Amino acid sequence: MTAGIVGALLVKGAFLAALGAAFFYYRGSLNRESLVPLARFSYHGAVIGLMSASAILLYLILTHQFQYAYVWNYSSTDLPLPLLVSTFYAGQEGSFTLWALFTALIGVFLMQYSMKREYEPQVMSIYSLILSFLLLMLIVKNPFEFIWDRFPNDLIRTGPIPAGIGSYVVLDSVRSIWAQYPTEGKGLNPLLQNYWMVIHPQILFIGFSAMAVPYANAVAGLMRRDYTSWIRIATPWLVFGAMVLGLGIILGGYWAYETLGWGGFWGWDPVENSSLVPWLLCVATIHTTLVQRKNGAYVRTNFALSILTFIAVLYSTFLTRSGVLGETSVHSFVDPGMWVYWLLLGCIVLFAAVGFGFLWVRSREMPSQPVQHSIFSREFALFLGAFALAFMAIFVTIGTSSPIITTIAKGKASAVEMSYYVKTNLPLGIVVAFLSGLGQLLWWRHSHSGSVLRAMMPSLGLAALATILLAIFATEELAILLLAFCSVFSLVANAQVGYGIYIGNPKFVGGSIAHIGLALLFLGFITSERYDEQKTVTLEKDKPVEALGYEMTYKGYVPVDRERYGFLVEMKKDGKVHTVAPTMYYSEFTRGIMRHPDLMNLLTRDVYVAPLSLEEATTGRREHMLELMKGEEGAAGEFKVRFTDFGDVDRMAMIEGREFTISAKLQIREGNSRPKEATVTILGSPDGMKPVPVSMKTGDGRSYNLVLERIMPDREDPARSKIAVKVVLPEDPSARGTGETLIVEASVKPLINLVWMGTVTLVIGFLLTIIRRVQEAWQVDPSQDP
Amino acid sequence: MNVKIVVAAVVIAAGLMLGVMNFMESNVEYADFATAERSGRKVQVKGVWLRDQESLFDSGKAQFIFYMKDDSERVMKVVLEGAKPNNFELAESVVAKGRIEGDHFHATEVLTKCPSKYEGDAEAVKKSL
Repeated sequence: MTAGIVGALLVKGAFLAALGAAFFYYRGSLNRESLVPLARFSYHGAVIGLMSASAILLYLILTHQFQYAYVWNYSSTDLPLPLLVSTFYAGQEGSFTLWALFTALIGVFLMQYSMKREYEPQVMSIYSLILSFLLLMLIVKNPFEFIWDRFPNDLIRTGPIPAGIGSYVVLDSVRSIWAQYPTEGKGLNPLLQNYWMVIHPQILFIGFSAMAVPYANAVAGLMRRDYTSWIRIATPWLVFGAMVLGLGIILGGYWAYETLGWGGFWGWDPVENSSLVPWLLCVATIHTTLVQRKNGAYVRTNFALSILTFIAVLYSTFLTRSGVLGETSVHSFVDPGMWVYWLLLGCIVLFAAVGFGFLWVRSREMPSQPVQHSIFSREFALFLGAFALAFMAIFVTIGTSSPIITTIAKGKASAVEMSYYVKTNLPLGIVVAFLSGLGQLLWWRHSHSGSVLRAMMPSLGLAALATILLAIFATEELAILLLAFCSVFSLVANAQVGYGIYIGNPKFVGGSIAHIGLALLFLGFITSERYDEQKTVTLEKDKPVEALGYEMTYKGYVPVDRERYGFLVEMKKDGKVHTVAPTMYYSEFTRGIMRHPDLMNLLTRDVYVAPLSLEEATTGRREHMLELMKGEEGAAGEFKVRFTDFGDVDRMAMIEGREFTISAKLQIREGNSRPKEATVTILGSPDGMKPVPVSMKTGDGRSYNLVLERIMPDREDPARSKIAVKVVLPEDPSARGTGETLIVEASVKPLINLVWMGTVTLVIGFLLTIIRRVQEAWQVDPSQDP
Repeated sequence: MNVKIVVAAVVIAAGLMLGVMNFMESNVEYADFATAERSGRKVQVKGVWLRDQESLFDSGKAQFIFYMKDDSERVMKVVLEGAKPNNFELAESVVAKGRIEGDHFHATEVLTKCPSKYEGDAEAVKKSL
């Protein structure tokens, strides 16, 4: 019990230390340099406090201390070690802890880094303030809360402790108050139970944490009235943030694709969007800062974008964590309570006010650099590209905020369709793809149209060729063809320029490689999302079915682990046989059927098999469901059934809660014979409603059943009330039963490997750029810009 | 007047127009079945899944069929294109997106709203004691 109390105290201590560091650093920045060592000490204290608190939380999880609400809520004793560790960040409290922890650790490096650039007091005062806010969140949403504090009415008891109680703890021995606590945890959501859970959230949170650095750098620059050299310090962090967050986003997409069975890697879900927006803004910032390095323009833009990137991180957190999206999202977000809501909102307001307030105050004294470049220059291409990226960020933000906007405008929250995102981002994507190629071919300041056109020839030619081929073999809409054209153009242009740069100085090739990665990603999006083929296939056991060029055979199921089953499907093509095993199982945790797809990753395509349902073997008896209004007639096999009237209902019995029956009168005709009367009933009792099957015989002695399944009253117009009758037809010797049948959705996603190739290339490009920019930031003389 | 600024302003205005139009168009409003029937438009209907009534997967058409009661207490058959959503059994309420087609509501998507989904409640605590 003490461990948790210590943990909570450590968090509080870390919060105070971080706040202290922010204060001392701030004083230190105002010519009180003697305070800087104290500020450093304070910051390190906060880091150690938070690390210790995290270690305690991990210890509590590993030792299954279910007297803590968080441990009980997300873990259980039967989880394998890696997943058990990952429950650390499975919930709100823990994921905030992880975010704070990464922020704290990055700060240790940032301190060393900015110390050498004499930026430490300003940067670290802002950064410590950010850390202290994250820690405040952990005080409000305490991961060390005892379970009896959360459920006092259910767990806290007074009086003597009865024998045979499993786990209990005495809270007050004088007044004999004690609390019982669970012996087993609720466990981890099965959707999260795979290796992606072990790596993906961590990468994402490192990315989120890194986004705080450019913000701190920008504000520090404003504080110091240094409007240019802060960029050189911030750039490696910007690129690092873009790389890590970008990788996290794509890995999340792969998780959704491979395990969650979304059918694609991107669903424009609020959770995905909320990490995409900061990424887009960060990438836009990288590009506008390039221009300022070159000719000093866009001073204010760079400050604004750096600040905005971090605000976007905060806003995203607010959207996804505060519960405002409510039921409009596929992911249900737990409402964390008023405190978290207001704290997150306060965070956004505060950091926006600090950042933009400073910018507004300082912007009057900033040097105004007249625009020296022509429209036909690399600067302008960079500006337009950043502009398009920022516009994408705005559109995605508006779409994701739709529930808030519609609540304010119409009083009722509603989300936008996926088509909104596609329609708004596709044109901008085309622009971005085109500019990412063109920008590389243009010169700084001004380009000569002749030389640029000559340079563009190979890439334009190849792009045109590819587009024509695409248009011939796969007719598509204009926008997609345009995107394909621009992507191929960018791919070739960047390869061409990149090669030239590589010959000159291999260190500078990062940008070209990142653009090649982007172009590959775009092409992968087109082929896999726009040219995919999809088909629902019904597979009776051991009976091959032709679909999507494969001969598919369902071969039965095998247990995968304690509760999962893999459904083996053989895929045969050109004599080669692959077996895929999508899984389906009943989960105790969600009390529902969970389904996971399986895929065949081939060089040129993925074949994706998602299970829909398993139908048990049936006999030859068929059933017909009829929904009838009074006087209406429906056909069921050889019978015609007419609903003539409701029977009498004993309303008193109904009201008094005794057994009662609801009945309906039917007329059944068999061919042209005289109609037979039948009354079908539902027996109502305090335990629920139960249909009573009625057995009937046909003229030639075969038996069939009638079941009144339910009544569908229409309150506005009782005459329109309906009944649902199930007719179980007589056994038909000619009809045969079907074996066990698996229904799957199979799809072919051509060239999806381009997406993964693009991701790897993009990350390599970012990595090379980081190396180059870090080396550059180390150079003492800021006038040596390349 | 600077030509560049005018061009930029026009581009921004056009972009915003495009965004706003798309936003309005793709915003699917909440409604009940009665409103959905009257308007014939694509809407989203919130309600509860009637567990005591039949729900089945039609393997021939790959459709999941269930009955749903909306907030105005009207019961309707819902035909969903696709399989039963994950977590369907756990849902305390569901949101169906689609339009009325004849006697049923034809849904392209069904979202489930789970009771404070992954957070345990008092009942769960008692069970795990």
